[in-house]
Amino acid sequence: MKIQSIVIRAGRSLKQAKSRTILTSLAIAVGAFTITLSLAAGAGGRSYTDQIVSANTDVKELSVQKSPPKSQKGPTKYSSNIVSASTAFFSGELLTRTDLNEIQKIDGVVSVTPNYNPQIKYITRAGQDKYLASISAFSPSVTLKYAAGSVSGNLADNEIVLTEEYVPALGFKNNQDAIGKNVEIITDKLTAPISAHQTKTFPFIVKAVSSKSGLAFRSQSSLLVSSSSARAMYDYINIGTQSYDDFAVASVRTTSEQRAKEVKDVLIKKGYQAQTAADILGAVNTFINVLQGILLGFGALAILTSIFGIINTQYISVLERTQQIGLMKALGMRRRDVGRLFKLEAAWIGFLGGVIGSGLAVLAGTIANPFISKALDIGDIRLLIFNPVSVVAVVVGLVLVSVASGILPARKAAKLNPIDALRTE
Amino acid sequence: MIEVKGVTKIYGKKDNEFKALSDVSFTIPDGASVAILGKSGSGKSTLMHVMSGLDKPQTGQVIIDGNDILRLKTKEVDKFRSRKMSFIFQSFFVQGNESCYNNVSLPLEIADVSISRRRVRVEAALKAVELIDKKKSRARDLSGGQKQRLAVARAIVNSPKILFADEPTGNLDSVTGGVIENLLFNYHRKFKVTLILVTHDPELSERCDIQIHIKDGVIDSIKRKKK
Repeated sequence: MKIQSIVIRAGRSLKQAKSRTILTSLAIAVGAFTITLSLAAGAGGRSYTDQIVSANTDVKELSVQKSPPKSQKGPTKYSSNIVSASTAFFSGELLTRTDLNEIQKIDGVVSVTPNYNPQIKYITRAGQDKYLASISAFSPSVTLKYAAGSVSGNLADNEIVLTEEYVPALGFKNNQDAIGKNVEIITDKLTAPISAHQTKTFPFIVKAVSSKSGLAFRSQSSLLVSSSSARAMYDYINIGTQSYDDFAVASVRTTSEQRAKEVKDVLIKKGYQAQTAADILGAVNTFINVLQGILLGFGALAILTSIFGIINTQYISVLERTQQIGLMKALGMRRRDVGRLFKLEAAWIGFLGGVIGSGLAVLAGTIANPFISKALDIGDIRLLIFNPVSVVAVVVGLVLVSVASGILPARKAAKLNPIDALRTE
Repeated sequence: MIEVKGVTKIYGKKDNEFKALSDVSFTIPDGASVAILGKSGSGKSTLMHVMSGLDKPQTGQVIIDGNDILRLKTKEVDKFRSRKMSFIFQSFFVQGNESCYNNVSLPLEIADVSISRRRVRVEAALKAVELIDKKKSRARDLSGGQKQRLAVARAIVNSPKILFADEPTGNLDSVTGGVIENLLFNYHRKFKVTLILVTHDPELSERCDIQIHIKDGVIDSIKRKKK
């Protein structure tokens, strides 16, 4: 008997037991739904982190920290030789000027820039209120989304990039209105005595206004100035303090991506901790993969239960159709073909379940995507990405699983003795 | 020609042993009509099953056109049945939820006949039993007589050499039963098909060339009509 005829007969006998077929395939659909969604979430998550990392880092750059103390239980012992810091966010040794100079000397290093985060007093503009702000150094390798104006290459020392929320706060009519206007940053010298505190005003011209982007790594409210301006402010504020010129993290710029890897090895040998863009991406992706694995596990569990559903349904079907099987065998249908008929019926159930489940997943995901993005405040980035290849793979996989679960009932059908099957009395 | 030689079929084992057929031998020439007569439990159905290769006896030979079908592999017997034999049963065994067309098409699908040739032959068979207007109806919606006509169509669609009919009129009233009888005998005469009827109806058996009486698994008598 031709496979085509068997497929058609199998499909028809399922159509005749509609509710049973649909109910059985719905069990598979639950698994297909979960698996399709978790694959989509994994793909979306990985693509999102990929975008984040590539928008915020440069493949030629390394992020360097002083190596954390060798893993040991309990708190670290104090040592006067090591410069360290312990805050809620960071605990460990700090990089000193000596370290930075040593790194600078490594072959292939173009520049070493510590993360200057000057703790300014406030930002303001003539006739406007004063606002707190965090300041970061502008980096050309970080992709920004501009609401007005733009920066090509580097920022000049007297230029600043505002975020959207500072535009109305500082009394501008709109984003465009802010471009080219002056703002002032007031800083406080930390070592000055309270009785005679010293402040310095740094004037800036607004070069651009950045809007919120789902891809931004750093705090969304950071205002950006050039690296040397950040340093100038940092120096003014911190000079003379104990932690002056000690940094948690420094970014090291090298000549090429390949060089970055080599420099990383050198740095690690010298006792530093260095991460390339790929390392950061890998660390985040491991996390996503674990989450995806858990979701896939739930899906697999649902499939496992549905396997028993298929076996059960097909056994009942064989019992119900004993006469039909007997007749087909009397008419000369081969055992192999009788077995195939039932395996293909199982395949149809799996196909139906797969299509229903992954179809609903794609539908639900497509509808939910904008809401998820809105809830997570990540702009127009889609967190669920349905890859047609993986959707097809899910359906094909379920068809195979169903055929496998149809094997036992199919064997029972194939073994049926036609004489017994045709005895009616 | 069908030769049955020394066929013995035993059901059950040891204490429960039951001899359904005991050293049965006879010969049927091509194109003959044969009635196998006997009471229920006499072994007449078993004889039919053995002759069609559905059942394997412990000893004996069933030689059809020179081949001992009891020596063939299951696969080859299946092929043999699908090409050369057909069956009609007392309780029809039509697939109620399938259309008439698909019921009749089944033997051709099993015999790997192409779709286009299938259509021609299915329609011809349905015309022969006057069910062509019911082509798309579901078999369960047919009356008893129509169902058996459908079974006849299914039996003749693959142009068999041998047609087995197990009490074909047993579930029908005399009028519809007569229609089925005529269908079978007309087909038998027209195409020179060997017709083997299992029955306990003496009237039906009188229309046959050969009457084989079976009693307790043994041949009681064989009557051949003089031509």
